[in-house]
Amino acid sequence: MTAISVTVNGRPHTAQVEPRRLLVDFLREDLGLVGTHIGCEHGVCGTCTVLLDGRSIRSCITLAVQADGAEISTVEGLADGAELHPLQDEFSEKQGLQCGYCTPGMLMRASEILAGNPDPSPAEVREAIASNLCRCTGYQFIVEAVLGAAERMRAAKETAS
Amino acid sequence: MTTVDSTTGDRIAADRAASAPPVRPHSAERRWVGQSIRRVEDPKFLRGRGGYIADRITPGTLHAAVLRSPHPHARITGFDVAAAQAAPGVHAVITGAQAAQLCDPMPDFGPDPTRHTWRCLAAEKVRYVGEGVAVVVADSRYLAEDALELIEVGYEPLPAVVDPERALDAGVPLVHEALESNCAYERSFDFGDVDRDFAEADLVIRDRLRWHRSGGQPLETVGAIADYDPGTGGFVIETNTLSFTSYLFMVAAALKVPVNRLDIRPAPAGGSFGSKLFANKPAVIAAMCARATGRKVAYIEDRVDNISNCDHHGSDRLYDVELAVMRDGTMRGIKIDTIDDYGAYIQFGVGHHGNALAQVTGPYTIGSVRYRVRAALTNKNQQGAYRGFGSEVNNWMLEQMVDKAARELDLDPAAIRRKNFIRQFPYYIPTGNVYDSGDYDKVLDKALELADYEHWRAEQKRLREQGRYIGIGLISAQERSVFSATEFWFWFDEPAAPVTSTPESVSLKVDTTGGITAILYSCAFWGNSPETMVAQFVAEEFDCDPYDVAVVYHGSGDGLPATGPGGSRTTVMLAGAVEGAAGKIKAKARRAAAHLLEIDEDDLEWADGGFGVRGDPERRKTLGEIAIMLHLFKHSFPADMTSGLDESQVYDHPWTTMPSADRKDLGVFYPFMGHACHIPVVEVDIETGAVTFLHYAAVHDCGTLVNPRSLAGHIVGGTAQGIGTALYEEFVYDTDGQLLSSSYLDYLIPTAIEVPELAIGHVETPSPYTPHGVKGGGEGGRMMAPAAINAAVNDALAPLGVRLTELPMTPERILTALRASRKKG
Amino acid sequence: MAAGTRGGQHRECALGRSPLKPPPFDYAAPTTLDEAIGLLAEHAGAEARVLAGGQSLIPMMNFRLAKPGYLVDLRRVAGLAGIRREGDTLVIGAMTRMAEVERSPEVAVAAPLVTEAIGLVAHVPVRNSGTVGGSLAHADPAAELPAVALALDAKLVAAGPGGTRTIPAGEFFTGPYGTALAPEEILTEVRLPVWPGGHAFTEFSRIHANFAVVAVAALVDADGDRIRRASVALAGVGPTPVRAHSAERALLGTSGDAETIRRAAQLAAADLSPAGDLHASAETRLTLAQVYLRRGLELAVSRARNER
Repeated sequence: MTAISVTVNGRPHTAQVEPRRLLVDFLREDLGLVGTHIGCEHGVCGTCTVLLDGRSIRSCITLAVQADGAEISTVEGLADGAELHPLQDEFSEKQGLQCGYCTPGMLMRASEILAGNPDPSPAEVREAIASNLCRCTGYQFIVEAVLGAAERMRAAKETAS
Repeated sequence: MTTVDSTTGDRIAADRAASAPPVRPHSAERRWVGQSIRRVEDPKFLRGRGGYIADRITPGTLHAAVLRSPHPHARITGFDVAAAQAAPGVHAVITGAQAAQLCDPMPDFGPDPTRHTWRCLAAEKVRYVGEGVAVVVADSRYLAEDALELIEVGYEPLPAVVDPERALDAGVPLVHEALESNCAYERSFDFGDVDRDFAEADLVIRDRLRWHRSGGQPLETVGAIADYDPGTGGFVIETNTLSFTSYLFMVAAALKVPVNRLDIRPAPAGGSFGSKLFANKPAVIAAMCARATGRKVAYIEDRVDNISNCDHHGSDRLYDVELAVMRDGTMRGIKIDTIDDYGAYIQFGVGHHGNALAQVTGPYTIGSVRYRVRAALTNKNQQGAYRGFGSEVNNWMLEQMVDKAARELDLDPAAIRRKNFIRQFPYYIPTGNVYDSGDYDKVLDKALELADYEHWRAEQKRLREQGRYIGIGLISAQERSVFSATEFWFWFDEPAAPVTSTPESVSLKVDTTGGITAILYSCAFWGNSPETMVAQFVAEEFDCDPYDVAVVYHGSGDGLPATGPGGSRTTVMLAGAVEGAAGKIKAKARRAAAHLLEIDEDDLEWADGGFGVRGDPERRKTLGEIAIMLHLFKHSFPADMTSGLDESQVYDHPWTTMPSADRKDLGVFYPFMGHACHIPVVEVDIETGAVTFLHYAAVHDCGTLVNPRSLAGHIVGGTAQGIGTALYEEFVYDTDGQLLSSSYLDYLIPTAIEVPELAIGHVETPSPYTPHGVKGGGEGGRMMAPAAINAAVNDALAPLGVRLTELPMTPERILTALRASRKKG
Repeated sequence: MAAGTRGGQHRECALGRSPLKPPPFDYAAPTTLDEAIGLLAEHAGAEARVLAGGQSLIPMMNFRLAKPGYLVDLRRVAGLAGIRREGDTLVIGAMTRMAEVERSPEVAVAAPLVTEAIGLVAHVPVRNSGTVGGSLAHADPAAELPAVALALDAKLVAAGPGGTRTIPAGEFFTGPYGTALAPEEILTEVRLPVWPGGHAFTEFSRIHANFAVVAVAALVDADGDRIRRASVALAGVGPTPVRAHSAERALLGTSGDAETIRRAAQLAAADLSPAGDLHASAETRLTLAQVYLRRGLELAVSRARNER
């Protein structure tokens, strides 16, 4: 067993884990954060995407021990209490989800995209979300949702400044 | 029907008119039906609190893992499980032979279940790569998989049968010795006067077509958590599949328990596309393990389990087709000879061909059909359900033939279709099924406009001069909705069980405050939006806010009968069930209101969420005012009025008729007929075989739309899967029966780059027979796209004399065809 | 796919058992290179392996195709990540995350071939974790970076119990998933000769960002109108990446006109004998190789010209 310290959605955790324990299982089973889902377990579909130190990673091909000392962000940390994150709200507004299974990973990837590029073109959004498979929506309304969220977040920033 | 004399014809017409449901008036004013409201389901999914099956595993639950066969065909000669049993954390190891003692065979609607017996784990022999042979139960999935590696299995490999045509030859290895053949079913049907239509035709168009299997592959696999109570001898199973609840006695039989000791509770599914339709194997395995260990057991398929062992591969067909046409483009008759590779088992019989026969002649006035189907068994995972359930393949085949006819007759693809469009409804096609309503010209017109068709034809010409190969596909095809039970047994002259029920139930409860709860009885949530649908229907009935309607799912144990999603039935069936239950609620509420207002029931009318006196609207009682009285003040009402305000409706298929004894008329079995036109524009890179989209227009007519945005989402999603089927996705078995595409590295699912943006149009031709005129439409995108994309690629490559007749159109297949045509030319 | 474990490797085994959770192993995350080397040597009997980003190794472990008994995680070892210029050489530390290389303006200037190639390695989330050294050491025959290393005549620096040595790229890749690294050696950096332009990295994959069916790394350097240097490497056409020397020779001294490029591509393809798989037959692979050689060279030459 190996000791790890991870901060998840702002909350510090320490744990003893088997080195082979996948990060996705650690998050889901050890921390009870079941919002991150398992799709393929070989790093292709992106369903398990979370942020590690602000960058998207595939938690099914990351060991929990590799997250020692890192800050992890999962879907559970997106909303601010009752208030949804603009991305979540836009996904609902634009119907960017149907079964909801790819949605947490897609939201986390989208948050990374917008952090790096607050004003992406539709083509840029489409290319960037190609990292995450969705079997339900055919992607179109996801792209619209991300663009909608980008606009709202830019406007909020302007209002704030 | 042209062979019969006029009196017989009149009688048939009269019978048909008599059996049709009443034509219903539809209100032009709707408040909630037709609104693209945000989905009621969303908040929990957005927050990562979807409650999928894997999220429901509680501490202390044991985990199962299944050992899969590496051989496509082999006798199992023995097991050594001692090391596995002794491994850390292991509670049980159950082999296939032991499972055959603990459980009876799986539910099977195939032609001869005692001879193509299907079990949850293979007993004496394995019949495909990936078939389960043993299961380990351990404290964690990690430990269970460690133990799997310690199991020694003795296999005596047998020659595999892989090619479906060869499977039907004499003297080849048998997948099921007891069946004495690899042909599980064969029959030829004749509808109309085929021989006469072919004799009178000016030209017969022929072709051979091949559609390889792909599958739903939702991102969430099938899973179950089972708990066994030795005190009651019963099981409670949570799982992400719950369909055909009236047939759960077959699952109970597999587990050797009475059906009233089996309670299956549905969890939302992370996608299905058919692959979670009556998918009970994980539940049976989990339950068997729970009983064996005395503990709660979870079995969640992993991705390789699901790809190789899901029992839901899609259609896998070879077609030999002849289409009889006149020089002016009129299509007279069609002869279809198809071999369908069902894999090692055949759980749904040839129901997939029923789906084809529901709309076999497409939107066209083709007068006769000969349909020969042979179901071949091979050493592959069996077929199940995949969006379209076999009708999408027929659409593709038919549209390929129409395009070939157009080419040979030198007719424009739109013109030949218009020449043959059905324009009178209801329309009975040669098989006996009916199309309730439609306007195919309108859909085509709108699609051509949305596609900017003339512009792209001009572009095509211009770019061809630059040596680029652009193609435009234009297809018009049907999307049937709401299947009847008859399509599972009209294959047999003397069916063992000529069932006729396909119910869907809804209960509505009005609580003491007037709040409404709707209860659904199957795993209706697959990513379709049953909660939103029901909330909109309820809101329409009761003038409430759809977000104030609570929707809950009920387990099977004490639930009403329900069939669940499939065949695009959910919208119509929930509409009917809600309408029925709402009607009962309103009837009781009216009576109660009349009593409270001391007025005749006939003097009351429903408006704005309550009953008011006609002509004196101030005198009214809201639903809430009525409800609290009914719940708490029994003595305020006549003695025969019960307390409470809740009603249920078990709604069954509203238009099913029996097949004729000679099976020349299969009756009505899929009447609510949608229609669509897809026009993709593609570029084929003839150096690499890559296909890219330049434009894609899709117009669908699914009757009255409940939530247009939601349907548009299904159209895009279905089209994306159709793109996968047309270009990328295939479960590839090599000539030895090895599954080559066993992971997502090789089973290629389209990303946001492979799927273009769609220009979507809606046409609404209401059904005269359903509440609000709704029809189903969830499958439509995938039912059109493969046909449309194949048409587009063929249009691109026509100048090179190349025509693709095999899906998926991989770069390999495209380049091979180009090479062959260069050698010829 | 980062050093995409192409179908073939795990098809055979994946279906035999029921994987998708890794087997048990022991683990350490040392803080110095010497410690790391020491651990590899100490646990050689347990089949010790280096863990870099894990983007290739961990999927293989999930499939239980790789079962190292001991993993030495390099994430804490100082001095293994970073990008620097040493005169005519671009030095990239083995643990540098691919995403960092992708974003690096220094790399874009010194070796734009690398920038272009790395953008094609799987997707951003994989590049965030995956490392340059990990990809090179994994040596997937279809991977992008090994072809780049070969085209640039890179030198790979390895540290082991006996000290440090430098291995030319041409000797580094020994077979499918095989390198010249000894079991206790750790790749510490890759040294890439600067080649500031005239580059093109192109590949054919079936799905966007999926592993390449064939990939071409092309470099030309022109003096006036004449090509004075050319370097071309391919991935996906054999057990290791290969240099297309016949194409290079055909280009030297020419203006890089369309006909010469076409002939160069043809000559190079004639030297290849790729295997087929479910995605492309041998014949199709050859066709694609020739097409991408031609397209890659056209792009490289046009870039070389525009830079003049």
